[in-house]
Formats: sequence, C-alpha cells, structure tokens
Amino acid sequence: MKKFRDVAVVGVGLHPWGVFADKSMPEMAVEAITEALADAKMGWREIESMVSGGYLWVSQREGMFGILSGTAISAAMGGIGIPITSCANACATGGAIFREAYLAVASGLYDTAIAVAADKSAGGFFRPQSEDSQFDLDYIRYVMTGETNPAYWAMECQRRMNDIGTTEDDLAMVKVVTSKIAPANPKTRYKKAFTKEQVLNSPMVCDPLHLLEICATSDGAGAVIVCSADKAKQYTDKPVMIDAAVIGSPTFGDHTIPLTYLSTYPRPGVGILTESRNSIAAAYKMSGKKPEDIDLIELPDNSSWHYFAYLDCILQAKDGEAEKLLRSGKVDPVTGDLPVCPSGGLGSCGEAVVAQGLFQIYELVKQLRGEAGERQVKTNPKTALAQTYGYAGNNAACILSKAW
Amino acid sequence: MAAKKQVPIIEGLFTWPSDKPQLIASRCKKCATVTFPKAAFCANPDCEKVRDNVEEVKLSNKGKLWTWTVQIYEPPAPFKREPYEPYGIAMVDTEEGLRVLGILTGTDNLKLGMTVELTTGKLYEDDENEYITWMWKPAG
Repeated sequence: MKKFRDVAVVGVGLHPWGVFADKSMPEMAVEAITEALADAKMGWREIESMVSGGYLWVSQREGMFGILSGTAISAAMGGIGIPITSCANACATGGAIFREAYLAVASGLYDTAIAVAADKSAGGFFRPQSEDSQFDLDYIRYVMTGETNPAYWAMECQRRMNDIGTTEDDLAMVKVVTSKIAPANPKTRYKKAFTKEQVLNSPMVCDPLHLLEICATSDGAGAVIVCSADKAKQYTDKPVMIDAAVIGSPTFGDHTIPLTYLSTYPRPGVGILTESRNSIAAAYKMSGKKPEDIDLIELPDNSSWHYFAYLDCILQAKDGEAEKLLRSGKVDPVTGDLPVCPSGGLGSCGEAVVAQGLFQIYELVKQLRGEAGERQVKTNPKTALAQTYGYAGNNAACILSKAW
Repeated sequence: MAAKKQVPIIEGLFTWPSDKPQLIASRCKKCATVTFPKAAFCANPDCEKVRDNVEEVKLSNKGKLWTWTVQIYEPPAPFKREPYEPYGIAMVDTEEGLRVLGILTGTDNLKLGMTVELTTGKLYEDDENEYITWMWKPAG
C-alpha cells in the first residue's frame, strides 16, 4: 500500500440526535457544518472539497434531495463552487465519506475537505424503497419473508448463543454498561441509564432481543473537517491524525445472509460478517497498528448481538472473547481499561443511519483531545478506533491518534 | 362456496401450483454455485460471467434449520399478514449448500439443526384469492 501524505481531523460538529420533524436534512447539516467550522476556526470558503452522505429512505421523505444530498447541502450553505460527491453506503456511509474526504487531502489534490451527512431515519422498521417485484431483492425479501432488521439480528444472536453460550444476562448487560454514560452526552437522544431488570422486562421484539437491546432510529447530522497534517496547526493545537480510514465489502461465500438478500452460498472457512472483518483488517494494515494498540473503541451496537460480534471483530479475537471482556469490566466506558462506546453507543442515540459514522468520529476526536466533559474517559487514550456496519454488506472503520 | 385460488404474492420464486413446492434457483454449470432467487450470472468471483453457464434448478424441498427468531411486532407495509399474528423466520440450509430465508409455519419445539420441509402458507386474501409465500415447516 502506497503511503500518501498525512492528514488530520481539525474540526468536528454534530447536530444533536433525536426527532426533528420540522427541520429538513440540509438544515440539520448546516448546523453540523457550522459547529465543525467553529471548532476548526475555519471559514466556509476555506473548504476545498466536500463529500456528503446519501440518504436511503428517499421514497418516504425529501425524495431526490435525500440522495443528491451534497449539492442540496451546499445550496443551503451557499455554493462556493467546490467539487462535491454524494455517496451512499448504508449505515457505513459516515465512515465511507470520511474516507473520501481523507483521500481527497491525502492524495495532495486538496488541502482541506469536509465530510457531512444528515439523516432522518426516526420512525421504526426499515422498509424497501420500491415495489419492483422483478429486480428489487429488498422488496422481494421483505414481502415474502417479513424479515425486519431486528429479526435478522435476532437470528444471528440465536446462533451465537448456541455456538458460544452467550446468555440473556450478557445481552442485557450490554445495555446496562453502554447506557450508564449516556446521561453525560448532550448530543445523544436517550440520556438515561438502565438497570438489568429494566432491560429484561422491556418488551420482546424478536426473540431473544428485547426492545432495550435494540437501537432505535433517529434524526441527526454530523460534519468532520480534515486538513493536510502540515497545515493542521494553523487551525488547531490538537490535530487528530488519521492513521486509517477504510471501507469493506463482503467476500463470496459469507456464511450470513446480509439484510436485503434472500440467500447466501456459504463456503468453508469464510465465516460471517466478511465486510466487517475485511474492513478491520484493512484498517490495521493501513495504520500499521494492532488490536493491542487500541485504547478506545466506538462500535456499532445496533443490538446487543452486534456489541459482542463487533468487539470480537475489532479485537480480531476468538468468537466469545467479547462476552468475557464485558463480564470482566475491562470494556466499561467509565471504569474499564479499554473503554467501549464512551458516547453511550447507538443504543443511547438511536441510529441516524448515514450520519452515524460521523457521530462516532466526533466522539473519538473529543475523547482524544480530552474535551469530552463529564464523559471523558480516565485512561488518557492515544489511539482510538470506530467501526460502523450497514445494510447490504457495507462496512467502514477508522483509526485515529493524538498528533501532539 | 368454492375454495379461493391460491396465488403466489410474487410469481417465479417457487414452483406453483404444486403438491410439493420447490424454490426456483440458479446453478452454475462450471462451479455449481447456487443462487436464490435465480441470477443471470454465476456469483463466484473466479467464474466467468456467461449467461449460458447458468441454469435454472429447483431446490430440494428439505433443509436443516440454521437459526430462527420470532417477529413479534407487525412490520410496516408493504409486508402484509392478515390477520396479524407473530411469526417465526428462519435461515435454512438446503441440500445444495444454499442458506435461504423463509417464514416458519410454527415455532414450537424448534432445535437448531432439525429438518424442515418447504411448504406454502397464506399471508393475506381478498375476495377472489389467497396470497401465499413459501414457508419452512418443522419436520422433526
């Protein structure tokens, strides 16, 4: 892999997560960009390149502007004639546009770039966007099998419980541990800590997953400004270096049936979640870092099953290590040596699908800079990792570190 | 009153009408990769993309239960199950080596690895027809 020039994050901004029915997605994006520009002490006209997250549920709201989001957001900011790409990689879009912004600057073509995404996914189960019964596999799958996102997660969870011995208590404890920090995050939606009893007494959605073991969907927006490392000091005393910004796609023969598909043809030795394991492997290769170098993690806890599956994936551990780490307290976001989801995780914010990766990057940057306020981890992290996982076999990951 | 006609919600996914319905898939004549629903090209990255290499096949109507869950809340449209009641969903491994989704006819006494059999079941009806999909029936 050829090394380009070094790139740093110099500004981050988030519109809070929640339900904002009266605001358009471009409006929310403008608020996130404004905060990121202020964070970088940068003017809008200093941005040289932009990439924007393409919203998925365009048949339900905002139509074409949802997917052609880049120029819609630029029009709301006031156009400055810069190159803009809109990019849709499902729930991994935030990480994917971060990578595009990184590449724009790392290549040497531009000195600054912004990744921005706004999303209004609040409101229940995802659904297909067409009624094309000939070619829209998502439509065919949905009307013929009634498979919702939580049903898919629950099926993988059942299998993990069978293979590894994950218990119902383990699943509930994910919510207990990740939500304990949520009241300290002003950007998150559910600022509430839950007890194990509350989790286990919440309604069953898809056996074995209870309501409080599944993340909600939310509205939200984020913006991240990157800059060449040699110029970063003009903008910030605390540039956060991008050691890796990668995306992953599935390998033929994956053992799981990704959401939107009806079947898979499992090949020996391939395993599940190849898009995620491919992405993590690429992040370690690009950064030259190893799992033991990671001090802090934001992972995609769309459900309690995800928390365990992704902790194993990120640490490249044997399946089942994650449950042991949670039980041991090592990954507690407040008291652990390796804080996981110090933002409160997706369980606390609800997923604003295409902006979610930027929510995670915002958290890594704040924690590395020591600016996370009440939720600041006590471990003085130097290297942090975020990963998101998406519909139809999408994944993104990044590794960031202190550059001061 | 005559029984209503049973009509697949989407045609072409399973053999119908039939006493022993089978899923309609495709198989590559070169490498045996199987895909459902049937695809125009072999999905194996190392296999050539030639339409004539791919043939239609009917899958065996028995499989092993890989995993399952119960969908308790009613999914929003366009999925319809009327009257609504919770239902099981499974991933099933067929004899051809394919892992396939489908609704379960029931969820009592299920065990991972048990044999299930392909059948059909109604999701909703109108004045003339009952609308059906494929379902997996636990066979013990």
